[in-house]
Amino acid sequence: MHGTAAMDVSGKSFWERLQSVDRRILYTLIFASVIIPILWPLHLPTPVTPESRAFFNAVDSLPSGSVVLFPFDFWPSTLPETEPMAVAGLRHCFRKNLRVVGLSNVGMGGPSIADRLLDSIGSEFHKTYGVDYVNLGYKANYSAVLLGMGSKIADIYPADHRGTRLDSIPLMRQVPNYDSVKFVLIVSDNAMTDYWVALVNARYGLPMVAGVTAIMAPKMLSYIQSHQLLGLLGGMKGAAEYEQLIDHSDKASRGMDAQSLIHFLIIAFIILGNFGFFMLRREQSQKGQN
Amino acid sequence: MKSRLPVLVAFISGALMILAFFGRGTVVDAVSDRALTWQTIVGGFSLLLGAVSIARVHWKKVATKHEDRLYSLCLLICFIVMGGSGVINGIGSGTLFDTLFQRIQAPMMSTMFSVLAFFIASAAYRAFRARSVSSAILLVAAVLVMLGRIPMGQYIYHGLPSWADWIMTVPSMAVQRGILIGAALGAASMSLRIILGIERTYLGRG
Amino acid sequence: MPEWYSHPFFLLLPTAFFTLAIFSFLYKDNPMFKLAEHVFAGLSAGYYFGLIWQSVIRQQVWMPLTQDGQWSVLIPGVLGLLMFARFFPRIGWTTRLPLAFVIGSTAGIMFIQQLHGMVLPQVGRTLLPLDSLRNILIIVGVLTTLIYFYFSKPHTGTLGWIASVGIGFIMVAFGAHFGYTVMARVSLLIGRVQFLLVDWLGVAR
Repeated sequence: MHGTAAMDVSGKSFWERLQSVDRRILYTLIFASVIIPILWPLHLPTPVTPESRAFFNAVDSLPSGSVVLFPFDFWPSTLPETEPMAVAGLRHCFRKNLRVVGLSNVGMGGPSIADRLLDSIGSEFHKTYGVDYVNLGYKANYSAVLLGMGSKIADIYPADHRGTRLDSIPLMRQVPNYDSVKFVLIVSDNAMTDYWVALVNARYGLPMVAGVTAIMAPKMLSYIQSHQLLGLLGGMKGAAEYEQLIDHSDKASRGMDAQSLIHFLIIAFIILGNFGFFMLRREQSQKGQN
Repeated sequence: MKSRLPVLVAFISGALMILAFFGRGTVVDAVSDRALTWQTIVGGFSLLLGAVSIARVHWKKVATKHEDRLYSLCLLICFIVMGGSGVINGIGSGTLFDTLFQRIQAPMMSTMFSVLAFFIASAAYRAFRARSVSSAILLVAAVLVMLGRIPMGQYIYHGLPSWADWIMTVPSMAVQRGILIGAALGAASMSLRIILGIERTYLGRG
Repeated sequence: MPEWYSHPFFLLLPTAFFTLAIFSFLYKDNPMFKLAEHVFAGLSAGYYFGLIWQSVIRQQVWMPLTQDGQWSVLIPGVLGLLMFARFFPRIGWTTRLPLAFVIGSTAGIMFIQQLHGMVLPQVGRTLLPLDSLRNILIIVGVLTTLIYFYFSKPHTGTLGWIASVGIGFIMVAFGAHFGYTVMARVSLLIGRVQFLLVDWLGVAR
């Protein structure tokens, strides 16, 4: 790769050179296509998919005071996609005066991210820890956690993330198990949504929606069609749609211009790569005939 | 004894979970609830084992004066500072543990994964070729979805978002469901093999 | 504390340094990247250690034992400690007991979960009335995908024809998946560039 420039003068055709362009040129173009729209945004509106609207409607229709289980089941690696969803979800819940029970089945950072987001969005709406929201934190072995909470949450979580015993937290005294939970709002970047659906929705009939990374979204549409999930947010775009629906534009909406430009760039890469490939093949077959 | 006892433990604990599903509110259910709590505790220790194993590997590198020993030493210092502060001062908001996570570790992990954007774009340029009818179908579907899922897509052609919706909710959803059903059947049969002691590879050798 | 120190540029300097150190890998592997890699691995292992110490050992074993007198937690506690028996060759085999307990009970949960929570609802929702092209395509798509992936018999004759329909569906789905994967990875990059330009340097909003 590093010797490409030297090879250019050694008799390679234009199409051959195009096929072996230095990766760093591609990388620079990618960087530029992300930086430019962030510096000079266009603020184009994002079309809302039916699944995102269903997600919004499901949360919006919950009666004030309902207890929402809010799993922060994502790794720090996908924060740019998942954090805007979680933030918008919390804003929607707190605005509707829903009580939020946060937890995480992702050991690596999940409970710490939950703590940060719950506190920052909670204070935005003047909510009190332990009364309006709580962070149960992390416990290992997700399938056992999900099933165990169905019988008694305190058996699995004797204390919250900060180490306060559950029986001394006012909110948790009213939520002994899933019977007191009205709804589940999952934000996830891994197979945890499958477990929530197949263990908790199937066994306890709890209604749920999920905000997932774009990679996970195609699979989740099966659960939408089977009504196991009531709504779905897919990736940063889903988060931007949700921000639009709750009328609070934030990081995801601001990122969508860059998303547009870089998609165009990648499509241009695909077209150029294929065009070059076919031209090179034609050139080689012509050489063969001569 | 060395392999029969673990197989028996796996059989009893697996069968207990299955029976509990059919016997809600019974003694079996109560026993399985206790077993679920125990599972979360034992599972936690296995994560601890992973953390300790990483530290052991790098301690050996430092002790044997491996050429990367300075990097390993750096890893060990980070391990001790992070783990030690978590044990001594707790893990809640405002602790050193939390600050190190929020300020250093989480952004690093995000950045590591963001690098994949460059690789996938480079792969789109170099390897994504319409060499056959199948790959041409794949390519067209990818382009339509990529255009239909961005705000600018609707300005190119107003129908693009609904085309992308259709691809996602009909052919793509159908395939995902096929894979889901097949994988679920596979996982169920593997679970049964473990419970019945046919599958023992998790026990390792010896 | 001096005023300059509280400026986001200085506050976020360590975050920005490690972000740029990782991006430097795009040019080539270098000592800064390697340092970042090891710092990351050390912090991750330390994170697990601190987290499990507090949320499992302290909350699930120590607190129930000392505050509620629940002696039964000693059983999973000892089982958990047996995980470390692998470091001692003479009793190394005992590490299989906690493994067998966790894997066996997880298998029990999975067996029910996959059949009751996955297969039944998914198959049920595929039994759609054949009254629209959409429904017909969904049924054909699910069946041909299953046939393509799960029949090990050679794909010739009628089975071959059905499998080739399956390939068509699968290619559309994989194409769509590729589009979504691009979307996901790009989002992560956008997030990091937003951090550098908006949060750290403050040159954009």
